[in-house]
Amino acid sequence: MDNIITAEHITKDFIRHRALDDVSVSVPRGKVYGLLGPNGAGKTTLIRIINHITAPDSGSVTFNGHPLSQKDIYNIGYLPEERGLYKKMKVGEQAIFFARLKGLGKAEAEKALRQWFERLDITQWWDKKIEELSKGMAQKVQFIVTVLHEPELLIFDEPFSGFDPINAGILKEEILRLRDKGTTVIFSTHNMESVEELCDEITLINRSHNILSGNVAEVRERFAHNLYTLSFVGNPQSLQAAVEPFVDSFDLGAIDSYGLSQATVRLKDSGAARPFIAAANDSVALSAFNRVIPSMNDIFVSAVKASNEAAGTAPVPQA
Amino acid sequence: MKSPLNLIISREYLQRVRRKSFIITTLLVPILMIGLMVAPALVAMLSTPEAKTIAVIDDTGAIFNRLNDSNEITFESYTQPLDSARANADVEAILAIGKNAVDQPNQSITMYYRGAPTLSTDEYVQQQLKDAIEALRLESYNITNLRQILDEINVDLSYPTVRIDKEEDTGTSSMLSYFISLIMDLMLYTFILIYGQMVMSSIIEEKNNRVLEIVVSSVNPSTLMMGKVLGIGLVAITQILIWGVLISACTMWVVPLVGTSLSSGAGVGVEANAELLAAVSQLSDLGYVASLMSCMLLYFVGGYLFYSAIYAAIGSAVDNIQDASQLSTIPTLPVIIALVASMSVMQNPGSSLAFWLSMIPFTSPMTMMSRIAFDVPIWEIIVSLVILYASFVGMIWLSAKIYRVGIFMYGKKPSFVEIIRWAKYK
Repeated sequence: MDNIITAEHITKDFIRHRALDDVSVSVPRGKVYGLLGPNGAGKTTLIRIINHITAPDSGSVTFNGHPLSQKDIYNIGYLPEERGLYKKMKVGEQAIFFARLKGLGKAEAEKALRQWFERLDITQWWDKKIEELSKGMAQKVQFIVTVLHEPELLIFDEPFSGFDPINAGILKEEILRLRDKGTTVIFSTHNMESVEELCDEITLINRSHNILSGNVAEVRERFAHNLYTLSFVGNPQSLQAAVEPFVDSFDLGAIDSYGLSQATVRLKDSGAARPFIAAANDSVALSAFNRVIPSMNDIFVSAVKASNEAAGTAPVPQA
Repeated sequence: MKSPLNLIISREYLQRVRRKSFIITTLLVPILMIGLMVAPALVAMLSTPEAKTIAVIDDTGAIFNRLNDSNEITFESYTQPLDSARANADVEAILAIGKNAVDQPNQSITMYYRGAPTLSTDEYVQQQLKDAIEALRLESYNITNLRQILDEINVDLSYPTVRIDKEEDTGTSSMLSYFISLIMDLMLYTFILIYGQMVMSSIIEEKNNRVLEIVVSSVNPSTLMMGKVLGIGLVAITQILIWGVLISACTMWVVPLVGTSLSSGAGVGVEANAELLAAVSQLSDLGYVASLMSCMLLYFVGGYLFYSAIYAAIGSAVDNIQDASQLSTIPTLPVIIALVASMSVMQNPGSSLAFWLSMIPFTSPMTMMSRIAFDVPIWEIIVSLVILYASFVGMIWLSAKIYRVGIFMYGKKPSFVEIIRWAKYK
């Protein structure tokens, strides 16, 4: 697969702790790539390394097939987690300044900006100072500043924080539209719902290590563990006895408001579904049988927990 | 396409120059300075001094005739006894001169005031008494033409100093050199403190705005630092040029208006006239002035650049003004030391202290300013300039390093040792 950026064996030490320890990620071109992990895991450090803001102690970053260098930043757009613009500068002027820093010409920048301002319906802000705008408004401006120079790679650190649901929706649409135009997007977030909505691939970083990487669908599949839920009417004990040969575990839940009993089972393997249904159907009246695909949230929690347990009881290092 | 450095410079420059505070201070300072220059003259012109009459009870009979009246003060002989004079409310001041006033003036003379005496009146009366008593004492020696003899003895010295180790016979006026050096030194001092701190707070402001990560993801930190230092330097130059134009324009228009009253008090400068003439004649030697000024300018600019790079490094290391103010004593100290040392360097421009201070970049701009008018060997100037400008580039590089690491250190005040360690980071 064609990767726009590949980071290999990245290690970065700070004064009293190791922010990244032998982390490798490969971001496929034209996809939305989620960078996940608990606070202080090292995500922002990795993003800064990819952005050429800081250099790794060891390891290498390859951008479009060559080692990452200062001129590549013209091809990267970065929206940092800590948002900020020059407060005293006018919106339009400021956006042009940043666009030109990224290598656009003045006229070119202004034209592109006018288009974006119309698109997001904020043309009336052009001559306002940033300090006159609300936080959400300023973030919209910042988003435009990030994407304006049409970089091949966009990096968003917590892009939705501070947005109301309507504006967050607009932003999601814009991100997907950019991806459809061929832009690669790396985005780091704690919001697992948006990961499911947007991401094609993810990497989960915990305690400076890459603990999980891959395609979102594949990862969820991997964590599905042949887990199913069923609703039925009948004697739970006879059901449990009937399906015994096909399951690893059988957990009985409460009876729901419609009078249906609930149970969660883990099958021995995915081929066991057919005989399981047959056996269950003979013993009780089945009303629903569902495969459980774990949410990214569940995967996040269980993967991080497992990794913490493997690493011992030491507290999570803070950035 | 504009280079990132130019972009940073022009943003820094335009944002500052357009600010209301910049416009206000740029316009107000010349007005204030003109005010300071003109105010004393105006006050003198507008306030007509109050005439004062002093009643003199002269028991010697010789002193009163020698007391001269001034515009404000009139001496009037008073024949009634002291007690009745004191009782008379119309009498403002009484000068009682006892019989032995010529021999023992301090014991015999008393001055009585109704209300508080003014300093100028007091001084005037004292001077008049002193002259009168001196004249009386001289007369008592009974030597004819004594006054004339004394005048002939009095020496008024002013001769030209000429260097003989140079082929051309250029006279150097040490007075002029001293004067120019002092002004340049003081200007550089203010310049470093005001605009250097501006560089520092500009960097801190960017950190507080959290705008730095975007900037740093677009330009190299050294470019950013360089752009800030140069941009603010241009602001300073703009401000100084405007001040210069405004002040000289105002001086041309306003000063002649009050010039008449100013010239009445100009007698003080008479002694310096010979020196002044030499100075003026030297100023007309354009080649000399041009080389002197261009050399000073190189040190001026170099000094600003080097110190603002230090301020930039401090700004990179901290994230609020409170922490910065502590660290900023680090550059203030050598500036002050250099300023104090330049006073002694001016007395002895060829000393080895002067030489070494001219080589150390922390002190070289100020030291050289005070030495340069005294013909410093050209190689010394070149070496010290190279060291100064190289240190500036090194300092910018260092502050960029610190900046790059400082980004990650929000909310924690770094120690000096830590800052050094940051500089070693990749």
